[in-house]
Amino acid sequence: MAPERINVSMNRVEGDLEVSVDVDGGVVTDARCSGTMYRGFEKILKGRGSYDGLVITPRICGICSTSHLVAASRALDMITGVKVPPDAVRIRNIAQMSEHIQSDVRHGMLMFAVDFVNPAYKDHPMFDEAVQRYEPFKGKSIVETIRETKKVLEIIAIIGGQWPHSSFMVPGGIASIPSKSDLLQCSLLLRQYKAWYEQRILGCSIERWREIRSAADLDAWLEERPEHRESDLGFYLRFARSIGLDKTGKGVGAFLSFGALELPEGTTVGAAGASSLVPAGFAHAGRVSGFDQAKIAEHVASSWYVDYEGGKHPFEGETNPYATGKENEKYSWAKAPRYDNHPAETGPLAEMVIAGNPLIVSLIDKEGPSTYLRELARLVRPTELMPAMETWLTEINFNSKYYTLPGEVRTGEGFGLTQASRGALGHWVKIENDVIRHYQIITPSAWNFSPRDSGKRRGPVEEALSGTRIKDMANPVELGHIVRSFDACLVCTVHTARRDEGHRY
Amino acid sequence: MKRIICIGNRYVRQDSAGPAVYDLLSQEELPADVELVDGGLAGLNLLGFFDDAELVVLVDNVSGFSSHNGTVVLEPEDIVPLAKNIYDHASGLPYLLRALPEVIEGNAPRIVVVGVEGDYDESVIADAARLALKTAADLGRGRLVVDGTPGGA
Repeated sequence: MAPERINVSMNRVEGDLEVSVDVDGGVVTDARCSGTMYRGFEKILKGRGSYDGLVITPRICGICSTSHLVAASRALDMITGVKVPPDAVRIRNIAQMSEHIQSDVRHGMLMFAVDFVNPAYKDHPMFDEAVQRYEPFKGKSIVETIRETKKVLEIIAIIGGQWPHSSFMVPGGIASIPSKSDLLQCSLLLRQYKAWYEQRILGCSIERWREIRSAADLDAWLEERPEHRESDLGFYLRFARSIGLDKTGKGVGAFLSFGALELPEGTTVGAAGASSLVPAGFAHAGRVSGFDQAKIAEHVASSWYVDYEGGKHPFEGETNPYATGKENEKYSWAKAPRYDNHPAETGPLAEMVIAGNPLIVSLIDKEGPSTYLRELARLVRPTELMPAMETWLTEINFNSKYYTLPGEVRTGEGFGLTQASRGALGHWVKIENDVIRHYQIITPSAWNFSPRDSGKRRGPVEEALSGTRIKDMANPVELGHIVRSFDACLVCTVHTARRDEGHRY
Repeated sequence: MKRIICIGNRYVRQDSAGPAVYDLLSQEELPADVELVDGGLAGLNLLGFFDDAELVVLVDNVSGFSSHNGTVVLEPEDIVPLAKNIYDHASGLPYLLRALPEVIEGNAPRIVVVGVEGDYDESVIADAARLALKTAADLGRGRLVVDGTPGGA
């Protein structure tokens, strides 16, 4: 059979992402990820007031709004040289973590598990149970997830004073001061969400889950109690393995975390000597090394931008659209970021590999990275976050200082790095005479869904798709699982209700 | 409480009518029982704004609902059939309105969509703002009349 190229209908995954794969004999031989929309935020921000990133960048994305605010604030913290008071750090962290614990569960249920009711699995012995749980708009897990996850973001509204598109983080701290009542309300919302997460998603307490430290422990946990098997996580473990998700979507085998959630002075949260709850690092070939943002470079050889040699650090980066010429070589509006010249995967799995999470490391050692493991890491990341949120809410002194007046710095440069829900997010900013002269943003999906770089190396998703066997070319559900495990977000752009284009949004 | 929720991406021209209406209405003194919300890209996260409302007027760009550019008043039933089954980061109004009956707490509010079809100028935005306000004012008294708008109440 002659090789063929198919375009996968990835509008089902993300409005501005297209994936095309070459298939030969039912096996993917090559893949291309294409971001189909030019964003140009770097151009929008240039020439604006030095603090405008605090208002504009949270509007880049409706899902990661708070993480963009964190990155923008941290860049300005660095430029102004201001030290953020410990309780303001706690508040910033709690807001960002609220975004994560919502996003992780929503992705797991609404975006990933919903594929378990794909007609490809209609003869699977667990299909009926999958339908009961994940039938769109009707399944019990779907409905509960929509209902419960809408509440937890109220935490950001309470402590940010506005939601959506809060801009309450400013260089030096936060602009809205929470009252004791506000913090109690946040604690209540978190407790309610945690109780639901433990009952519905985990099937056990977070404390019990965190006792699992190996692949063998995980197998034992699954059989330990009916509640474990019947939880959404229990179902995921059983179903995902049964359809072979532990054998697909390996990726590039390199993992990146910028680090996130700075540990405030005096906290009891975090490992001794650590500076952040989520450590920064780069893992490659089984070895974790320290992170240095100077090793980041953006390539445009396959991107619709004016060419330059090799890659450029985001402080020197250029965003000059160039949509004509080299149409066979250039195929995406996303650039190709590389770390130390490597393509790298980012997200919850990367965070846990770099942090040395015992269970994830055990599974990586045993099976290697996979679609299954990537989504498992996302589903259980709230177990790492919610206990810290609870502690920080109790540690906050509501009469505390939440803001330090930054010194006047009219000219300077700085970067704000964090981990958004989907992974490493960075803002690199240069200011001259109180005006933004340069603003480069690298999003998590730019890492994961990057096109080829100047060395022709595929991006992580392109690599993860290659080698995949497709059973039914008319319904390549295997590809959907792999792509969705990276949680594409390329980025919230046009949401218009279009009756003339069917189901494309 | 009645809410006017303006939806869209102010950095993408073809999705920015909602934010433009928000900017216009935010300069006006609104009736005391009308709350104006910059819904932006919040998508499914706007669900919380429906829980305690008696009326929600959504303002957003639409496409394919009218043969000419301008404003169009729609009912949820016009939008819901466009919802796809899998939620994603680009899920917009159709998914939100489709999910709403399953997760609403208390009584569901009356919902009206003021759509902006095609490209727009200041006069279209002003018309959409007027329609949103009129809907909020009149529906509370049960006498909304919108002339000549397909799907109008």
